[in-house]
Amino acid sequence: MKTTTSSPSRPRRLRYAVPAVALSASLALAACGSDSGSGDGGGGDGGSGGAPAADVLDKATGVTTVSFWHAMDGTNAEALDKLVADFNAANTGKIEVKSTYAGKYDDVITKYKAAIQSKSTPDVIQIYDIGSRFMIDAKQTIPMQAFIDRDKLDVSDLQPNIAGYYSIDDKLNSMPFNTSMPVLYYNKTLFKEAGLDPENPPQDLAAIRAAAEKLSKKGGGPADYGFGAAIYGWLLEQFIATDGKEYCDQGNGRDGKATKVLFDQPEAVEVVKWWQTMVKDGLAANTGRDTKAAQAAFKSGQAAITLESTGQLGGFSKAAKEGGWELGAANYPHIKAGTEGGPIIGGASLWINSANHEDVQQEAAWRFVKFAADKKSQAEWHIGTGYFPISKGALNEPADVEYRKANPLFDVAVKQLEGTKLSKATQGCLLGVMPQARKASEDGLEAALNGTDAQEAMTKAAESLSGQISQYNSSVE
Amino acid sequence: MTTASSDTVLDEVTDSAPREAPPTTAAGGEARRERWVAIGYLLPALVVFGLFVFWPLAKSILLSVQGTDILGNPSGFVGGAHYTRLFGDPDFLQVLWVTFAFTILTVIPSIAIALLIALLLQSRIRGVRFFRTAFALPFAFSVATASVIFGVLFNPASGVLNGILSHLGVDKVQWLTNPDLALWSVSGATVWMQIGYNLLVLSAGLGALPEDVLEAARLDGASGLRLQRSIIMPLLTPQLFFLVVVGTIHSLQSFGQIKILTVGGPEDRTTTLVYSIYEQAFANNNSNYGYASAQAMVLLVIVLIITALQFGVLERKVFYR
Repeated sequence: MKTTTSSPSRPRRLRYAVPAVALSASLALAACGSDSGSGDGGGGDGGSGGAPAADVLDKATGVTTVSFWHAMDGTNAEALDKLVADFNAANTGKIEVKSTYAGKYDDVITKYKAAIQSKSTPDVIQIYDIGSRFMIDAKQTIPMQAFIDRDKLDVSDLQPNIAGYYSIDDKLNSMPFNTSMPVLYYNKTLFKEAGLDPENPPQDLAAIRAAAEKLSKKGGGPADYGFGAAIYGWLLEQFIATDGKEYCDQGNGRDGKATKVLFDQPEAVEVVKWWQTMVKDGLAANTGRDTKAAQAAFKSGQAAITLESTGQLGGFSKAAKEGGWELGAANYPHIKAGTEGGPIIGGASLWINSANHEDVQQEAAWRFVKFAADKKSQAEWHIGTGYFPISKGALNEPADVEYRKANPLFDVAVKQLEGTKLSKATQGCLLGVMPQARKASEDGLEAALNGTDAQEAMTKAAESLSGQISQYNSSVE
Repeated sequence: MTTASSDTVLDEVTDSAPREAPPTTAAGGEARRERWVAIGYLLPALVVFGLFVFWPLAKSILLSVQGTDILGNPSGFVGGAHYTRLFGDPDFLQVLWVTFAFTILTVIPSIAIALLIALLLQSRIRGVRFFRTAFALPFAFSVATASVIFGVLFNPASGVLNGILSHLGVDKVQWLTNPDLALWSVSGATVWMQIGYNLLVLSAGLGALPEDVLEAARLDGASGLRLQRSIIMPLLTPQLFFLVVVGTIHSLQSFGQIKILTVGGPEDRTTTLVYSIYEQAFANNNSNYGYASAQAMVLLVIVLIITALQFGVLERKVFYR
């Protein structure tokens, strides 16, 4: 019977076979939805419970296994596996951490949702920064603060700006683990060719434009485009923060549940308008949303200035060495010179699941998280991955000092972080639908770069979220 | 063995027959027996279909009238709210339009080009086997692999296509980031992916044309274009019809190339219905299974309507031998 669909000379069979194919095909996705949609809401005992007794692990017999889902691949995964191996070696016979790559950040959170349904969440999970509000509302985890208070642990070693993002009401919910920051990268060689001072990179929008006019082919400069960055919502979030403004209401979602996003405020629109005009005037490349495309344009010297994460430092340095040009890095630019504010940290943090997890597992999980946040581990992590260490002490570890001597550009990020005053603006917006909000801001920015009025585009994008935000808020009350 | 067991079946059926119905004739018993055998044969397929088609279909209908909480659990009956929202949403109209345009832009060119190649491959030149294999090869590529390669070709900074254009002195083209162009680029890539399969089917069809009919036509003086148009085309309509139907369904379901090449952008100008369902259900930390299911229902209805139309209208023109 299988051959009937590929044998068109038998109309009668085909008549039935094709609608069947159509039916099953259009339902394939629906089926996925229904699978994850069934089942009840998981355990309700998580979130609010206190920490288990400190000696629970000592009383336990045998090896306690800690399952750990993460989103690190490539060299980052290697560095992480080494951390896990070191921890396991130090706790032989007592605790064994089993780490699993669960896909990219978005996939991890999707899988986590499914695991909640089937009551099979891992003991420790790495979740990206913008999933934090969701993690709290999912009520599956125990805050780090419970352990910190129980152990009367001194957490002054944590970088305050990093801890700030993951703290709500002065309570640390998750342990920051891998953090990155945005910086401005520029091509010093192209700066020299354009007659610009390579040691004096532009630090606000007007200065970037002025530099781009000299750098771009349009203005007789050496590069195709003076500026080129991806349509990436994260960058817009950073601009708003460097201007000291908030991204969502309710004090960036820190005073209460945010009810709307503010990326259509005048300052944000100013950035969008600036970017739009740069593209229109041929001074900036529009490489779309794919960050890799923008990176490629910068690496190949087609764009002279870009905005990217510190995580790209390694890749850009390598491209500069291979391409025979000199790389520069500077603080993330402000909208206007002299405004108070700074960039928000990005990256991910570790959460300990408590719903449907034994005390002894939670305790073992905590030991691992504590180990991962320790200055020695963080120095090793910093060197292995380029992620910013969350521990101040890590920067004084001899190996780390050595590393930064070899990679002086990394000090830019260190100084930028230390120079940023912690405020609600620089803590970043806490919003249940933050991933959706980031995408909506990209919709707005993209529409503007393609010619829509900047204010109109951003307002429309912000308004498109209102339904989702209220729906989210009402479903977690 | 077989006769013995079928005898038993027959015995059982005839034994039980008088109790339920008035005495049947021998022919009636035979029909009954055949019905049971038929059901027995159909059962495995029915179970599989039930499990993977009808059960999800029922679940989807149920989900489409329910809200969804942040974890993806149904959060209560909302009636037709999702459907009202869908049809009142101008963005959804754009999704439907994109879906329609994408289908037209992929189905017609992929069949037309494949037909042209298939006809050219009929000629008796040296190495025709090589060409046949070469042209059918896209069929062997997975959508993901082909999309990644097209992504490299389309890359605005380092892509091959813009490299060629710059040698010709033409400005760089933003293949995937220009809102007016992206759908054409994705469609082009999709056409390339579908040509291989279409070519296989059409070549097989051409190879199986009845030699006597062709010879008769030639004897009547038909040749060249006349032969193609009046004899070969009508004889090929079953294959063409099959490709239109299957190609339409295939295009309506396309996902991989959109996910890899444009992620539905720029400005949602390549967001087709299937991609929109995916976005609502799984992307960006969404788990709006209710809303996504409502869209899936719309897709189902669209596929059924189009398929019914094709069978009702197009099939009349098909010449079955």
